[in-house]
Amino acid sequence: MLAQQIINGLTLGGVYAIIALGYTMVYGILELINFAHGEIYMLGAYAGIIFFGLFTAIGLTSYSLPLSIVLTLILSIIFCSSYGFTIEKIAYKPLRKAPRLSPLISAIGVSIFLQNYVMLTQGATDRVFPYLFGAAGFDFIGARVTYLQSFIIAISALLMLSLHFFVARTMIGKAMRAVAQDRVMASLVGINIDTVISTTFVIGSGLAAVAGMMVAMYYGLVNYSIGYIAGIKAFTAAVLGGIGSIPGAMFGGIVLGLVEAMGAAYISSEYKDAYAFVILIIILLIKPAGLFGKSTEDRYK
Amino acid sequence: MKKYLLLFLSIVLTLSCAKKEETIKIGIAGPMTGDQAKMGTDFKNSVTLAVEEWNAKGGVLGKKIAVMIADDQRDPKQAVSVANKLVNKGAVGIIGHFNSSCSIPASDVYNRAGIPMITPASTNPQLTEKGYRGVFRVCGRDDQQGKVAAGFVIHQLKLKKVVVIHDKTTYGQGLADEFKKFLGGMVEVVYYGGIVQGDKDFKTVLTAIKDKKPELIFFGGIYPEAGLLVKQARELGLSVPFMSGDGTIDPKFIEIAGAQAAEGTYLTFSPDPQHIPTAKEFIDKYKARYGELGPYSIYAYDATNILLTAVKEAGTKDGKAIIERLHSMEFSGALGKIKFDNRGDVTVAPYVVWITKNGKFEEYWKL
Repeated sequence: MLAQQIINGLTLGGVYAIIALGYTMVYGILELINFAHGEIYMLGAYAGIIFFGLFTAIGLTSYSLPLSIVLTLILSIIFCSSYGFTIEKIAYKPLRKAPRLSPLISAIGVSIFLQNYVMLTQGATDRVFPYLFGAAGFDFIGARVTYLQSFIIAISALLMLSLHFFVARTMIGKAMRAVAQDRVMASLVGINIDTVISTTFVIGSGLAAVAGMMVAMYYGLVNYSIGYIAGIKAFTAAVLGGIGSIPGAMFGGIVLGLVEAMGAAYISSEYKDAYAFVILIIILLIKPAGLFGKSTEDRYK
Repeated sequence: MKKYLLLFLSIVLTLSCAKKEETIKIGIAGPMTGDQAKMGTDFKNSVTLAVEEWNAKGGVLGKKIAVMIADDQRDPKQAVSVANKLVNKGAVGIIGHFNSSCSIPASDVYNRAGIPMITPASTNPQLTEKGYRGVFRVCGRDDQQGKVAAGFVIHQLKLKKVVVIHDKTTYGQGLADEFKKFLGGMVEVVYYGGIVQGDKDFKTVLTAIKDKKPELIFFGGIYPEAGLLVKQARELGLSVPFMSGDGTIDPKFIEIAGAQAAEGTYLTFSPDPQHIPTAKEFIDKYKARYGELGPYSIYAYDATNILLTAVKEAGTKDGKAIIERLHSMEFSGALGKIKFDNRGDVTVAPYVVWITKNGKFEEYWKL
């Protein structure tokens, strides 16, 4: 049972971590909590259903299932990234010099807009993602793992690793770290701030698209309001790990998933959502900047 | 200028007077948006159908009937708020709500206003146990439903160990409790617990359940959670039969769970309307217009006809007179003969067990 709960928790935690990365990257660079990020994830889930339906209609799914899943994934990433890019240009960029509260309110506005936009265009009822993989899976040290679960865990791990190398090794990654440390100084040494910020939004939204698509496949049920609770959970994960810190978001997501699984298993499933917040409060009391976060004084040293 | 103003005012006054008292208004309340929107839409379709038939025959009390649609979003707070709105707009009676957790608080509002409400679907016993004279239901009650479900598990399946879960709503927990009560210790309940309505991940609780090695999982709740529960149970390799109540008997349940996982699921519900001779006319009409029948379509249709018949026979819009009429009349509708007892429950409420077979629901067993 323990092994099974760890697998359950890892699947859930992987998804939380991927969404949390989007929050934490944007915060690291702009010090803005992008409340519309959960909605990008929801758009990713819808895009997955729509593109996959399209491929089914033209017969690609019956020709090659893996190919159509990969294509759906790529199209969803492009779709959500363009949303992320546009949202930044329309809702946040004009407010970059405004007081910090203004972009926050703008973010909440975008979130409400996107929810209602999807509700009106796609309907308020649940959309069902076709059940592709059945209950097929394998047994692993006493736990039952479906192929889809292992796929989700593998993709999450892969994405986190690639992001880590992207930020640590590439030029644009280095530029992102520079902008996060000191925006003015970075611009003085010739870094194009706008490009860096746009890249951050595009990457974060692309990650959210993957998470949305994976959740749509895993649970098979999507509606316009799934972004809210997923957003709150991922935000909790980001704060838990220390908002602004990329390894922190990854760690926070996994911890959150595991805590929910263990709490539901050994205490009671009725208060599943509460465990995450209990852990959050405890960690914030002991370490206010989060597990991997640097306190404000450290940031500027 | 003054002359024109006067003319304008008089036109407005005449128009507003003409608009008033022109129609008899009835309210429909249910979840019109959100994950249970299908149920609300079913209500709306059936009521519209019934009202159009009445209006084609000239309406009631010499006036046309107008329908006001209210969305309670399956939220008890919202239910009270829309109930007040319907009362203020002058509804003579209400068809609704869908969820027991909405019907019960809303019934306070209708009772205070002195207008009748007839719910086509709320099965929690508490609704009619409050002693409100104006509250009626055309469906059965969970205690009757839980008894049939328990009887089926004891006498037909002859099981020894079951798991009972619910969605913590008035309906879901009520049904689960009634089921547990009627098992009466003859069957051991190895796990009893709640899940959160609207949640999508139940693997953790199902893993805990799998450890108890039950022979059947009983769920008190509605189809979105039921569908996900069955699907995720099968993914965990938990292959014991699944059983639930009338809130789950909806094609969406099979769509969400997948036909393979849903196969063999037992559901307590009233008998198939296809087998009721009086229902044929309604079913044909409904299908021609809206497609497949929802589980409560026929109940909403009969509820509307009962309400309007009572208004007609009472000969007045006065709520008290309509309510008294509802208590004393005997109605024959699409479901057959319907009569209300003193509490406002139907006198005969047969429940049977259905089964999911090849992606369809079929009648399976009778007590």
